[in-house]
Amino acid sequence: MSPSPWFGRYRLRSFRPFLPWFLLLGGFFFVRLSKGAGFLDAYAFLAKPFWPGSAQKDWIQGSVQLEQLNRIKLLEIDNQRLRQILQISKSSKSDLVSAAVISRRLNGWWQQLELGKGSVHGVEVGNAVIGPGGLIGIINSVIPTTSRVRLLTAPGSQVGVWVPRTKRHAILTGVGTNRPLLKFLDKEPKVRIGDVVSTSPASTLLPANLNVGIIQFLNPKALPAPEATVQLTASPEAIDWVQIQIR
Amino acid sequence: MLRLYQRYFCVASALFVPLLTLMGPGWLNISGVGPDWAVLWLLPWALVDGSLSAVIAGLFLGLILDGISVSDISQVPALMVLGFWWGYIGRYGSADERSFLNLAILAWLGSALNGVSLLIQIHLGLNQPSLEVLMSWGLYTLFAQSIVTALLAPLVCLFLLKWWKRRSYF
Repeated sequence: MSPSPWFGRYRLRSFRPFLPWFLLLGGFFFVRLSKGAGFLDAYAFLAKPFWPGSAQKDWIQGSVQLEQLNRIKLLEIDNQRLRQILQISKSSKSDLVSAAVISRRLNGWWQQLELGKGSVHGVEVGNAVIGPGGLIGIINSVIPTTSRVRLLTAPGSQVGVWVPRTKRHAILTGVGTNRPLLKFLDKEPKVRIGDVVSTSPASTLLPANLNVGIIQFLNPKALPAPEATVQLTASPEAIDWVQIQIR
Repeated sequence: MLRLYQRYFCVASALFVPLLTLMGPGWLNISGVGPDWAVLWLLPWALVDGSLSAVIAGLFLGLILDGISVSDISQVPALMVLGFWWGYIGRYGSADERSFLNLAILAWLGSALNGVSLLIQIHLGLNQPSLEVLMSWGLYTLFAQSIVTALLAPLVCLFLLKWWKRRSYF
């Protein structure tokens, strides 16, 4: 007869009332060692209704947007003042007219928009048409109440643009597809895929520094000068109102 | 018996061609390319009213459509040729004998011919940079347009044929 079973049974019986407390203590140690596992989860679950929700995000985004709009406005005013001091171009004294898109033909033989403002409202042939995202096209013909836009993608459309990063001029040529062709004037344009294309800051025909698109594909072997394919940032298929820049 | 061009309501129906071209109902497009409404109107007109009338109608329609488009290329030559050809066909055999398939094939060929004429004009006139890009886009547009035109032709052309035949023979 060995003493160990008796001893063990006695120990267990005497420890049993304290067992829950030991388990609790173990639990606290676990919480302590794991830096708050379980506790924080429970807290997060309980506090979820009071987290900063979508409304707060909207407020912040709204105020950021407002700040940026304000800043752009201020910068534009500043820019115009400086341009007037330097007498760079008279087109900077721009006037924008909002016009509704009353007909659009985007993918057929003709790629054009009809706008609900015409020569009565001061629109002229050659004015730039701007939508959310940047330049859309150029006014092709005007009658007293409506005007017609030749989109940048249309065959025969040619617009002078440049790549701001490398300061190289190029001609944006519409070829009918959704992505117009950029024909550089230099032999070595030194551009990369992903470069932004915008109107030239010295342009008098188009508004200066207007976003046009992003270079998507580069063909350095094209003759007589390299060519690139540009993804336009403005999407005419989704735009109902545009702005015409009147000189 | 009055000729078709003496029926003013029949002539006025041509106004729907530029209107529909401008509206371009989106649900009738195949990958963004709408039907060739001029072909859909000119085909029954030529079959009923003969070559001369159809050539003149093609000229007028072409002029209107060029007027509402960005003006570098013209539909006039293709529409006049089509009017002459369809008028020539219409002289042989009654227009009643035109089946669904017959109209669809004629409209398909007409739309394709119009597209080829526009493609040639774009290539020659607009100084396109590369023929490859032009052909990929042009053939795509041409096929989409001729297919959707051919699909609509039995519906639209048959309706116009019935209407005009009744008007022109009494």
